[in-house]
Amino acid sequence: MEKKSSGSGVRLERRNILKLMATLPAAALAPVTPFASSVAMAMPQEAGAQNDAAVYQPKVFHPHELRTIRILSDMILPADERSCSASEAGVPEFIDGWLHVKQGNLLDEIRGGLTWLDMASNRSFQFDFADCSIQRQKQILDRIAYPEKAAPEDASAVVFFNSLRDLVVSGFFTSRQGIRDLPYVGNQPQQQWTGCPPQVRAKLGLVDS
Amino acid sequence: MPDSMSTSSTYDVIIVGSGAGGGMAAYNLTKAGAKCLMLEAGGWYDAAKDSKWLEWQYNAPHRGGGDYTSPMNYFLAADGGWQVPGEPYLNARGTDWMWFRARMLGGRTNSWGRISLRNGPYDFKPYDRYGNGFNWPIGYEDLAPYYDRTEELIGVFGSKEGLENLPDGKFLPPPAPRCYELLLQQASRKLHIPCIPSRLAVLTRPLNGRPECHYVSQCGRACRMGSNFSSPVVLLLPARETGNLEIRTGAMAREILTGPDGRATGVSYIDKKTRKEVQVHGKVVVLAASSCETARLLLNSRSSRFPDGLANSSGMVGKYLMDTVMSTVSGFLPKLMDLPPHNCDGVGGMHLYMPWWGYQESVRRTLPFSRGYHIEISGSRQGMPMPGVLSGTQKLVGGGYGESLKENCRKLYGSFVTLSGRGEMIPNENSYCEVDNNVVDQWGIPVLKFHFQWGEQELRMARHMQETFQEIIHTAGGEVVQSYGAEQRWGISEGGQGIHEVGGVRMGDNPKDSVLNAHCQAWDCKNLFVADGAPFVGLANKNPTLTILAMAWRTSDYIADQVKKGNV
Ligand SMILES: Cc1cc2nc3c(=O)[nH]c(=O)nc-3n(C[C@H](O)[C@H](O)[C@H](O)COP(=O)(O)OP(=O)(O)OC[C@H]3O[C@@H](n4cnc5c(N)ncnc54)[C@H](O)[C@@H]3O)c2cc1C
Repeated sequence: MEKKSSGSGVRLERRNILKLMATLPAAALAPVTPFASSVAMAMPQEAGAQNDAAVYQPKVFHPHELRTIRILSDMILPADERSCSASEAGVPEFIDGWLHVKQGNLLDEIRGGLTWLDMASNRSFQFDFADCSIQRQKQILDRIAYPEKAAPEDASAVVFFNSLRDLVVSGFFTSRQGIRDLPYVGNQPQQQWTGCPPQVRAKLGLVDS
Repeated sequence: MPDSMSTSSTYDVIIVGSGAGGGMAAYNLTKAGAKCLMLEAGGWYDAAKDSKWLEWQYNAPHRGGGDYTSPMNYFLAADGGWQVPGEPYLNARGTDWMWFRARMLGGRTNSWGRISLRNGPYDFKPYDRYGNGFNWPIGYEDLAPYYDRTEELIGVFGSKEGLENLPDGKFLPPPAPRCYELLLQQASRKLHIPCIPSRLAVLTRPLNGRPECHYVSQCGRACRMGSNFSSPVVLLLPARETGNLEIRTGAMAREILTGPDGRATGVSYIDKKTRKEVQVHGKVVVLAASSCETARLLLNSRSSRFPDGLANSSGMVGKYLMDTVMSTVSGFLPKLMDLPPHNCDGVGGMHLYMPWWGYQESVRRTLPFSRGYHIEISGSRQGMPMPGVLSGTQKLVGGGYGESLKENCRKLYGSFVTLSGRGEMIPNENSYCEVDNNVVDQWGIPVLKFHFQWGEQELRMARHMQETFQEIIHTAGGEVVQSYGAEQRWGISEGGQGIHEVGGVRMGDNPKDSVLNAHCQAWDCKNLFVADGAPFVGLANKNPTLTILAMAWRTSDYIADQVKKGNV
């Protein structure tokens, strides 16, 4: 069990990561299969339509905020050939519920960020963010989505977008749909444990010891 | 219904608390034939029914994520957490003590990390070796047979290594390492830091009717199958089968009752359902409410005879509180990106770890601190992805959104590792707890106020951790993602955050500077014993629970023996 880590100090070395990411081929992912384990299938499932946007009653967001969050979620993680979009995976509802119970000032930060987005898009385009065209929405996000390139006066909006991106990524890859997108093949009771498989050892250049 | 009721029968032993220490006391004393009453403040817990084993996070409220405080701790088998509603505690100015409490049958043994390391010979005599801290009144040889028996009973996997001050135990075979663990092992070996199979109370073979682990990495949820150690499954079940154990849950002990001769006569508790006081009587009282709660009980047991609390003629109750020194670095290992999909769950903890390697250096005083630490490792591919998964990707890929972000997430999945130190604290006078009579909990019981300070030694140790962990990550071909510098006090944890709080009712050779003798028997009150972590005189870099269990066994043997001889 990992214990809660303290502090928020961050120092990062990014020597060659960007270059390295660019040279990697598309991720070699597990085939998208239904969950195999019969044990897992037999586990209780929570009733209710968590993902049913039509009937969702937000806990913290006003309708306009939720609408903006929906648009942002899908801009951050859109559908592609492998998996659905963030909003189809229930991410806006997840974020609303998370902010409802999370202590600290995350709710203020997200809500304040949404206000900033509307302010920025009204200043530039005389419309709220949600009512702008996708090109214009992208223009605004491009200002705050790349921390190292952002203008100093947008710094607090960059912080907001980092947090929102983490929330969307968290919400998506822990959703029923999103987790099948990852090469996670666990939560299946095993007869025995055999450790790091030979083909992975080979790829890592680990000689058998 | 009278306002205060007392039950007429007298028990042989009253045990307060059902966690590691209380469970072990009950296991042995009931087997020795004693009629025992166990008081547990929390509710009943049965892992076979109540564990959230195998449930998917997407079916849980908030995907099961968050901290250890409800309602965010859906999966962790801990009623309570960093805060317990209606049961506050206070911090003195300048102290940020964090106190993790699990109010339930079995206490924190339902959710604990199962890391089970023996203290070694040096750990009992630190003053002799380092010239600071205090010696215990017992040595390794006193506890060794109890470590043996405890391991054989609860089941601990590990490997025989013959390392300095890290006694090998009666081990089950260790599970094979995970891929990222092998990478870190390769790196640490280059730096001459040992990396060996970890030692966890998880069954890799069937034992005493309990099945082998199913390797879904969910020990913290409590095991539905009973394949890891928890007090209710491994200790309380057999204790109840003797017919000698009665357990009362929802029973919040308030004070220990004493007679005119100063001996303990029983315990007064508040029944949480009725909010009424109940008094129960016993010939022997064993406290195992967890270190600080045990100190609190003694301090709250005041009478004209014991104005400063029971067993406190030395004034030492609450003193020399300790916790483990923690500091953490996380890194990104590019080699771990984009691996062929494979099951990386394993047991609910690390399969490899790095024990302390610097004993000779600390004797030669070539290190900037005395004592040592071990390194616990984890990787982001282990276990079910939970909220927080892939957080901070912008730090690695420069930000972004859209299809490229999604693809980057897939590539980055599973490529993060964390190294976290667990270091030895030297007990100091500035770290203690006391009762504040101005504030009570919802049961009317005065609460604890904490004072805690790390010393210069601990800060230097945290710095050494930061530097070493970064070196390991670099040697493994990785990049450091999160680390802490001087301005963040080297990332040193808050007191209590290690959830290894021990001390406060220490044992010793001299009634003037200790509360308990070498058998955890109160100097001032012969039929009062302590069986949790409160008697600890020091806190080695070894996680404390195996030692709590072994000491509780030794203490119970002593109680049984003394009762037989008519001495208590
Ligand atoms: C997430 C987590 C991970 C951990 N990992 C490890 C690890 O890997 N290795 C390790 O060695 N340790 C670990 N620990 C610590 C370990 O859980 C404790 O050291 C151990 O449980 C202590 O046992 P105890 O009997 O003293 O107290 P507890 O297990 O806390 O039990 C105390 C019991 O007493 C009850 N109680 C308290 N006050 C009263 C009262 N007034 N009246 C009646 N009952 C009362 C409580 O409700 C509780 O049930 C971990 C803890 C946590 C939470």
